[in-house]
Amino acid sequence: MSGNDNPGLLLGGGDLRAMFLEATEHFEQHKEVINALNVFPVPDGDTGTNMALTLQAASANLMELPSDLPVGEIARIAARNSLMGARGNSGVILSQLLQGIARGLSGKETAGLSELRRAFQYGIVYAYKAVSRPVEGTILTVAREIARGSREAINKSINMAELLDVAIASGKKALERTPDLLPVLKEAGVVDAGGLGLIVFLEGCLKSMSGHRLTGNKREASRGDFDRGKTLEAEGLPKTVNLEDSFDDRYPYCTELIVKGSGLLLRSLREALEDLGVSLLVAGDEEAIKVHIHAANPGRVLETCIGYGTLHNIKIDNMIDQFNNSLWSSNRPQVDEKDAVEARKIVEGLPKKERGVIAVAAGSGFASVFLSMGADKIVLGGQSMNPPVKDIVDAMMEVNAEKIILLPNNSNVQFAAEQAAKLVDKEVYVVDAHSMLQGLASMTALDHRRSLEENFVEMCLRSRQVKTLEVTYATRDAKVSGISVKKGDIIGLAEGSLLFSGLTVEETVLKLLHAVITEDEQIITLFYGEGITEDDAEILAERLKAEFPDLEIELYCGGQPLYYYLIGVE
Amino acid sequence: MTVRIVTDSTAFLDKETLEKYNIAVVPLYVNFEDEVIPDGSIPNAEFFEKMKRSAKLPFTSQPSPGDFAKVFEKIIEEDNDIVTIVISSGISGTYDSAINAAKAVDAKRIAVVDSILTSAGLARLVVEAAEAAAQGKTKEEIVALVEDKKRRLRIFFVPDTLEYLKKGGRIGGAQALLGTLLKVKPVLYLNNGKVDSYDKVRTMKKALERIVNEVPPTEGPFPVMLVHAEAGPTVETLARMVNERFPEAVITVHELSPVIGTHTGPGVVGICFYAQ
Repeated sequence: MSGNDNPGLLLGGGDLRAMFLEATEHFEQHKEVINALNVFPVPDGDTGTNMALTLQAASANLMELPSDLPVGEIARIAARNSLMGARGNSGVILSQLLQGIARGLSGKETAGLSELRRAFQYGIVYAYKAVSRPVEGTILTVAREIARGSREAINKSINMAELLDVAIASGKKALERTPDLLPVLKEAGVVDAGGLGLIVFLEGCLKSMSGHRLTGNKREASRGDFDRGKTLEAEGLPKTVNLEDSFDDRYPYCTELIVKGSGLLLRSLREALEDLGVSLLVAGDEEAIKVHIHAANPGRVLETCIGYGTLHNIKIDNMIDQFNNSLWSSNRPQVDEKDAVEARKIVEGLPKKERGVIAVAAGSGFASVFLSMGADKIVLGGQSMNPPVKDIVDAMMEVNAEKIILLPNNSNVQFAAEQAAKLVDKEVYVVDAHSMLQGLASMTALDHRRSLEENFVEMCLRSRQVKTLEVTYATRDAKVSGISVKKGDIIGLAEGSLLFSGLTVEETVLKLLHAVITEDEQIITLFYGEGITEDDAEILAERLKAEFPDLEIELYCGGQPLYYYLIGVE
Repeated sequence: MTVRIVTDSTAFLDKETLEKYNIAVVPLYVNFEDEVIPDGSIPNAEFFEKMKRSAKLPFTSQPSPGDFAKVFEKIIEEDNDIVTIVISSGISGTYDSAINAAKAVDAKRIAVVDSILTSAGLARLVVEAAEAAAQGKTKEEIVALVEDKKRRLRIFFVPDTLEYLKKGGRIGGAQALLGTLLKVKPVLYLNNGKVDSYDKVRTMKKALERIVNEVPPTEGPFPVMLVHAEAGPTVETLARMVNERFPEAVITVHELSPVIGTHTGPGVVGICFYAQ
C-alpha cells in the first residue's frame, strides 16, 4: 500500500454525494429489471419504482450543496430526504438503511473503511427496526449479508472500491438464497426484488468510483488519518461489531424544549446553540421558540436557553438508551424550519379536533366514501402508486389534532405509514387495514364518543371482518399457486391470493364470489374502477342479485385505477 | 283507595295485561290523509298494509290534554290516586298533555312520569308499577320505583332504514349517520329519552350481534324484551341469539305500536333490558 496514493482510502462529503447521485441514476436505469421480479403479477406499487423514487428523493437537492461538506452531513441530508420521500415497504427499508448509515457517519469529516463498515452496521439495525415482523429471504437478509461480508473484508488490506466489490458479492450470494428462505419466491421462480434493489444501489455507488479518485472531501487526506486507520487495522479489529460499543456517544442527548418570552431573538439563540450539538432545530416566533438538539451536554443547552426566556416542556432523552430499547422513534429528523412554521400557521387557523383520521385511498369515489365516513384527510395513492412518507406526514400535519388515526389501506403502504407516524410530533395510531375495503369496514367503528384507544382497537378488529376481492389484469407472465397467468389476462384475487386467471371481468367477479361466500355473509359491496362504465357495473350488479338472492348487493363508483372491481364481502 | 296506573298506547300492552292490572290507556293518533286512527285500534298487519298503500307517509300526534283529563276524571271520581307513565318527552309531546291534564283535574292526586322510554321499555315500567300498586304501594312509592327503574332500562334498535326517522323528525343524534355514502345498518338507542346513534355496521347480522353484546350477563332469570315491526324472521333470529348467549333470559317478543312503527318504519328490530 502506498499511503495517499491509494485511491478509495477516505471518503469525503463530495465523494458520498457523487456516489448517491450516480447510484440514483444507475438505479433509475435498472428499476424495470427489479419491477419484473414482483412476485404477484398485479399492477402494484412496484419495488423498483418505489426504491428509485426513494433514491431520487434522497439525492434531490444534493447537487445544490457545497461539495466540501463533511461526509456525515451529506449522509444526514440524503437520509433525511429519503425518509420523507420513501415509498412502499422496500423504499422505507432502504431509507432506514440510509438513516443508519447517516447515524454511523454522523459528525465525520471523512470516512475510512472502518467508519463505512460501522455505518453499514447501523444501517442494518435501523432497517431491521423499521420492520415490525422481519421476514428472512427479503431485502433484510441481503442487507445483513452485505454488512457481514464487508465486515469480514475489512481485515484485509483493500481499498474502498474493493470493499464495495466484496459487499456486492456477499449481497448477490444472499440474494441467490432468498428463494430458499421464502417459498413464495421459489414458486414464482424469482429472487427478492428489494434485495436486488439494494445490490443495484451498491453497484451504482461502485460505478461512481471507477475512474474516480476519492478526494477525501477535496482536502488531502492527512498522513495522520491514514496512519491511524492503518494502525487500527493492524491491531486487528474485532470480527463482530458490538453496536453498543461502537455508538458515537458525542451527542447522545436528544434535548427538546420550548422557550417562551417576548421579543425572543431566534437567530441569536440558534447561533448560541450551534456549537452545543447536532441536528439543531430552532423554530418559532418572538413569543415561543421550539428547540430541538442532539447535545453533548443538555445542561448547557438549558443554561443557554434560560438566558432568552422561560423554559417549558423540557424533554431530554438519552438516545443510546432509546436505541437499545428500540425507542429511537423520538430521535426525529430535522424538520425544515420554514415548513414547520408555515404548516403551524395554517393548522392553527383550523378548528382544533380531538382526533384526526387520515386514510390512504386511490380513486375519487373511494376518497369521497372515506370522507363521508369521517376521514379528515385523504392521501391519494395505494395500489398503483404508493404515496411517499412525506405525503402522509403532511396530511397528519394539516389536521389540527394531537392524536391521529391512520389507515394505510394497502399492505405496501404499511411501513410508510408506520414511518410517517414516527416523524410527527403527534400520537399516531396506524390501523391494521391492508385494503381499502378493510379500511372502510374499520371506518364504521369510528365514533367520537368512544375514546381514541377504543376506536383504534375496534377499528382494527372490524378491518378483519371483511373479505377483499380484487379483479385486475396481469402485468406479466407468471405462475402463482399453480395458476398460470399470461400478461394482460384478467385475474381475480381473494384476500391477496390469486384464484382465477384468463376469464372475463364479469366471470372473474362471479367465480371469486362463489369461492368465498359462506352462509355467514350478508352483503357484497362492489366498487367499480376506471375503465368500467356505470352501465356495465349495474348490469353486473343485477346479475349478482339473481345469483345471490339472499345477499344485499351494493354498488359504488370507486374510481380506482387499474382494478376493474374491488369487492368487499361480509 | 288504590293507585291506578295510566299509560299511553305506545306501551302497546296486550288486552290481558291491561285487564289483569286494571291499567288505563290513552292513545296517540296516526293521521292518514283520509282518516285518523287511534294508535292500536286496528291490527298491525292491517296498519302497515295501509301505510304501504298510502301515497303520503302518515304523521302521528299526541293525545290532547282532554284525552287524558277524561281518563283521569273517571279514576279520581272512584277515589283513586293515579300514576301516569308516558312515552319519552324527547320524542313525543304526550308528557305535556298528561301534565296539563293532571293540573286541570287534580294535581295532588295525579303523578306524571316521563319514562324516557317507549314500547317494551315503557311497558315494563307500567307493569312493574301496576304490580307495586297491587301490593298496596302508595303513589309516591310507585313514582320512586319507576324513576329508579327507568334509568336502568336500555333500548337498542336497528331500523331497516333511517328514512322514516328522518321524515318523522325523530332522528336525533342519528342524523350524523345520514351523510355516510356507504350504506350502513344503523344501531340506535334511546339516549336519555332521545334517539341517538350507537354504532353503524354493514349487515343486519352484525347489528344483531352488536345489540345482543350490550346485554349484561346476569345471574338467574332476567327479562329481555325484543321488539319489532313487521320483522318476524329477524326477531326470531335475535331471540335465538339471546337464548344461546343467555339461557336463563326470559325472552318476550313485542310488536311496536303503529305510532312507533310509523317513525321507525317496518323492518325494525330492537332489544330492551335492564342495564344491571
